[in-house]
Amino acid sequence: MRLLFVLLLLPVLLPADATAEEAAAQAFTPCRACHSLNPAERGLPGPNLAGVIGRAVGGDDDFDYSPVLRKARDEGLRWDAQRLETFLADPAGMFPGLWMSMRGIEDAAERQAMVQFLADPSSR
Amino acid sequence: MNRRQFLRSTAAGLLAAPALLRPANAQEGPFRVKYYPVAPGMGSRDTTPAPDGTIWFCGQRNGTLGRLEPRDGSYKLVDLGGGGAPQGEIIGPDGAPWVTEGGQNAIARVDPGDHKVTLFRLPEKEAYANLNTAVFDKSGIYWFTGQSGIYGRLDPKSGDMTVFKSPRGRGTYGMTITPKGDIWYASLAGNHIARIDPATGNATVVEPPTPNQGARRVWSDSRGRIWVSEWNSGNVSVHDPADGSWKAWKLPGSNPRTYAVYVDDKDKVWLTDFGANAIVRFDPVAEKFNAFPSDKSGANVRQLDGRPGETWGGESGNDRLVVIQTAAPA
Repeated sequence: MRLLFVLLLLPVLLPADATAEEAAAQAFTPCRACHSLNPAERGLPGPNLAGVIGRAVGGDDDFDYSPVLRKARDEGLRWDAQRLETFLADPAGMFPGLWMSMRGIEDAAERQAMVQFLADPSSR
Repeated sequence: MNRRQFLRSTAAGLLAAPALLRPANAQEGPFRVKYYPVAPGMGSRDTTPAPDGTIWFCGQRNGTLGRLEPRDGSYKLVDLGGGGAPQGEIIGPDGAPWVTEGGQNAIARVDPGDHKVTLFRLPEKEAYANLNTAVFDKSGIYWFTGQSGIYGRLDPKSGDMTVFKSPRGRGTYGMTITPKGDIWYASLAGNHIARIDPATGNATVVEPPTPNQGARRVWSDSRGRIWVSEWNSGNVSVHDPADGSWKAWKLPGSNPRTYAVYVDDKDKVWLTDFGANAIVRFDPVAEKFNAFPSDKSGANVRQLDGRPGETWGGESGNDRLVVIQTAAPA
């Protein structure tokens, strides 16, 4: 009975998940002007974001970061899901003087979807 | 603090805020640098002088367009609407500021009288255009760029908008118009500049000689030469479309990062260098630089504009506007 209930719900649940993923993918569209999730794609105006979760802040060795991010790296800060979500809410609030320029994402669900999108290649 | 509270709290901005004045630490010239504090946390960035002497400026972090009265340092903020994230503004033939309003994926006109905001939204298929810079052409058409890899035209009278795909995709950034009316843009991620034919909307790519230079912004001088701020190389370069020539100069310092470029009425070239935290003036005749470092770290001036005797920028990292006076105020 429980299985049937879940199966009946699937058509509702799956589109919802797909929509969240789609929204995250769309929300990442403006970021693509400067960032890539393809580890082989280098030389863009922003650091490569493949494998960003777990990496040191300012941790793309090929990228010349702003002083505030170099300082964060030297202090040993690392990206985890919580820190990334806080960052996305107000990037310049977390790292004043950041060279990247964007307004933070106000909607918590959108931020969480974005973190999931960046963290999990299978969600893309 | 929500936006309404924020705007209310910055009503203090309606009161006079004293500008900070200091002599410039420059190598030559009678320059004066003045700072104007604006609302904390607003991310004050692109500026443009208005015909009435005020200065419009964008608040990318709080979705507002500001208007500074330089005579007493007071300012007003106009809320552009939900989720606003304005990047830049220019003055139209109608005297109003027209804004690349990335947060709402729209071009916004702000009435200079009653501050009413009118939005011209991009087509749905161009959502997330990442709007950047704009110019008006000689027939009053508004041309704009979007970093996602688009540029477009808007007829302010009819509201008709056409969006074009940039020939090499993402990165479409700064934009300028020459005295003859040619329109050029820079592609930061695409490492090139391009000329748009206003009649057809087609763009022709021109390759700077420095590979992977990161051409971020462009500005025409009085002869129609295109000055380019090269983010990756730390150069300022100039392209003369008349003969196809290029010249480039590295900015001073150990790690220059050339962000903005503006050419004043005397054909002096103004740049911002994030590596040196400075506004830099370049004299193309003497081929010499003057640096004006900010008195605060992390200034991050992302755009420059001006009027005779004054070069203006927004210290986005410090929530201040900055002006360098190149002539004594009248």
